[in-house]
Amino acid sequence: MNRMQNFKNGLIKDNPVFGLYLGLCSTLAITTSLNNAIGMGVAVIAVLILSNVIISAIRKIVPDDIRIPVYIVIIATLVKIIQMLIQAYAPALNSSLGVFIPLIVVNCIILGRAEAFASKNGIFDSALDGLGMGLGYLLAVLAMSFIRQLLATGALSMTNPFDESQVLFHLQLIPEDFTISMFSAPLGAFMTFAFLAAALSSYKQHIQRKEDEAAKAAKIAAAQAAKAAKEAA
Amino acid sequence: MNKQSPLYLAIFLAIVAAIAGGALYGANSLTLPIIKANEEKAEKASLLEMYPDASIDDFTTVDVADITPDHPFVDNVYTYGENVVIFKCSVSGYDGGTVFLVGIDKANDVVDAFQAISNADTKGIGSKITESAFKDSIVGKQASGQLDTISGATYTSTPVVQAINECATIATEIE
Repeated sequence: MNRMQNFKNGLIKDNPVFGLYLGLCSTLAITTSLNNAIGMGVAVIAVLILSNVIISAIRKIVPDDIRIPVYIVIIATLVKIIQMLIQAYAPALNSSLGVFIPLIVVNCIILGRAEAFASKNGIFDSALDGLGMGLGYLLAVLAMSFIRQLLATGALSMTNPFDESQVLFHLQLIPEDFTISMFSAPLGAFMTFAFLAAALSSYKQHIQRKEDEAAKAAKIAAAQAAKAAKEAA
Repeated sequence: MNKQSPLYLAIFLAIVAAIAGGALYGANSLTLPIIKANEEKAEKASLLEMYPDASIDDFTTVDVADITPDHPFVDNVYTYGENVVIFKCSVSGYDGGTVFLVGIDKANDVVDAFQAISNADTKGIGSKITESAFKDSIVGKQASGQLDTISGATYTSTPVVQAINECATIATEIE
């Protein structure tokens, strides 16, 4: 139950991007198309799970004084390996994500989860936490790129990342005369981010208010019940 | 050994780094041949635009280690058939410069084919280099002789023409 709760928190409530504001640099930069978002999201999930597992496995033997350098070496190695794999098997994705693949090393989600979770919890929990946080990141970049690609190009499209020429789907939803190209620029990225972060924040407030009201109602009910019991006596 | 001593920490970090290095070496030797093949394929795909009748295997890559020190604008060299030498060049221009392919028939000293890959100079002026008029004006001409530049876009076209002249000289040295 607790495990599931942890996992779910990463997806919505403590979403790393819109809830904790981590990893924004890559989020703002690469969310111009669904292809980029999925590629980046999957790369981050892979790095996050592997780094969480490795760091959790060695957490008892790593001296406290040098734990951050050790974590960074592990994360950098994993990112470099993933980058080489992308370069070899999905060269088109590599050229469109460019420098943001190596920059996963300094993505604060990964070091953040290593320090806050994996270094204190077991291997299985850490892997689950990595998956939850990674899916949260994937969800966030997908939501961003969905809006940005749709408004900037009027279409939603995806190609096979392993073979550029194979188009998986292409839906022209808005006529080309009515697209807003600003959304593919940084300004559009910031605006999309702001709206989505605001939406999540208001959702969280809504839940909080509901919980408060429920607690208040329960309190009143308890007080009334006590009063009634007293009168009856 | 004391777990807090600097020596222990240094050794620990060194071991972690060594393991990481080993993992990277493994991944690199696994992926490098595929990456190299991908890059070569992408390069040769642009050659196919210039010679649509050829197939990718008709082009042979030439080692450019001896050429680039004296001719830094040459990126890659290929041979096609017995006489044609193809150069991929990047030259500076008014702003961003031009990347192009030129095929030179070294036996007859003739420009056999030309293909501009990209031009980052002023749109409408320097970018004329990518239009077919320029290509038509130089294909079939003597490669080491006088080639026409584009009037009004000399900043862009002069370096291209000069590079082609130089390529003609290099071509004769390639076997």
